[in-house]
Amino acid sequence: MSLQEKYQSILELANQNGTTYTLSEGEGVLHIDGSAPSEEAKQQLWDEYNRIDPDYRSGDLMLNVSVGAAAGGGSNTYTVQAGDNLTKIGAKYGITWNAIYEANRDIISDPDMIHPGQELKIPG
Amino acid sequence: MFLQPKLLVFKEGRMRIKKLYTAITLALVLFMSACGKSDADLQKAANEKLAADKISGITVAVKDNVATLSGDTKDITVKSKAEASVKSIDGIKSITNNINVVTPAATPPPPDPMLQGKVDEALKKAGCTGAKATINNGVVTLTGSVAETKYAPCIQAVNEVGAGKVDNQLQKGK
Repeated sequence: MSLQEKYQSILELANQNGTTYTLSEGEGVLHIDGSAPSEEAKQQLWDEYNRIDPDYRSGDLMLNVSVGAAAGGGSNTYTVQAGDNLTKIGAKYGITWNAIYEANRDIISDPDMIHPGQELKIPG
Repeated sequence: MFLQPKLLVFKEGRMRIKKLYTAITLALVLFMSACGKSDADLQKAANEKLAADKISGITVAVKDNVATLSGDTKDITVKSKAEASVKSIDGIKSITNNINVVTPAATPPPPDPMLQGKVDEALKKAGCTGAKATINNGVVTLTGSVAETKYAPCIQAVNEVGAGKVDNQLQKGK
């Protein structure tokens, strides 16, 4: 059974509830990338996914559906947690502490002093 | 008076012809309804139906009232939609669905040095304390344990980061 056959009912549901999507497949994973008209529509797809693959264990589907015109790019901020320092945060993104410091001069006055809860811009 | 018998014969003849016509018409109607439309008509109707249902890239051939669908599509739902569409046409006896589903190959995501940060941030935003993500070759392995109500949102969050694959070993806690 192909992955599209396995997850066909999710696609049927998407057609019904007005979710637009594109499909691709690689290394045994089906990617459904799309945009749903509402949170409910998105949730319907996730419920169906959970029905086909309880607890999402198979690892053969990436369901990436945003709602409406998602803001996007929101992933490139980082919220400081207790115990973080710029070097540690930089390592997560593969950049230097200095790059983060430079991008956040407006909120960081001293690179050794960052506070939990601060939202840092992560330069691309 | 002596003309009457002739008239009678004439009248009878007219009646007979009339009856014959009726019989022929009846036979014709019966014959037509039994045979239905020709294959060519059905094929035309089927292609028009597909166009009306905005299904493109699929062709239909009809022979002996059997419709054969062919063509390539990226999406399996097009395959079933096309079949349902053509099946609804009066006179189509059965369908041979030879539509080929070809999923486009996913371009493997370029190595994303930011992936760890993005995944961590997504988990944090979704309130997934207790979940831990490790990344290896673009595969996100999710371990740890989150509250049952947080389980699905945590998986969703990771799906929406743009990783190539998720190895989900996350547990549901209390």
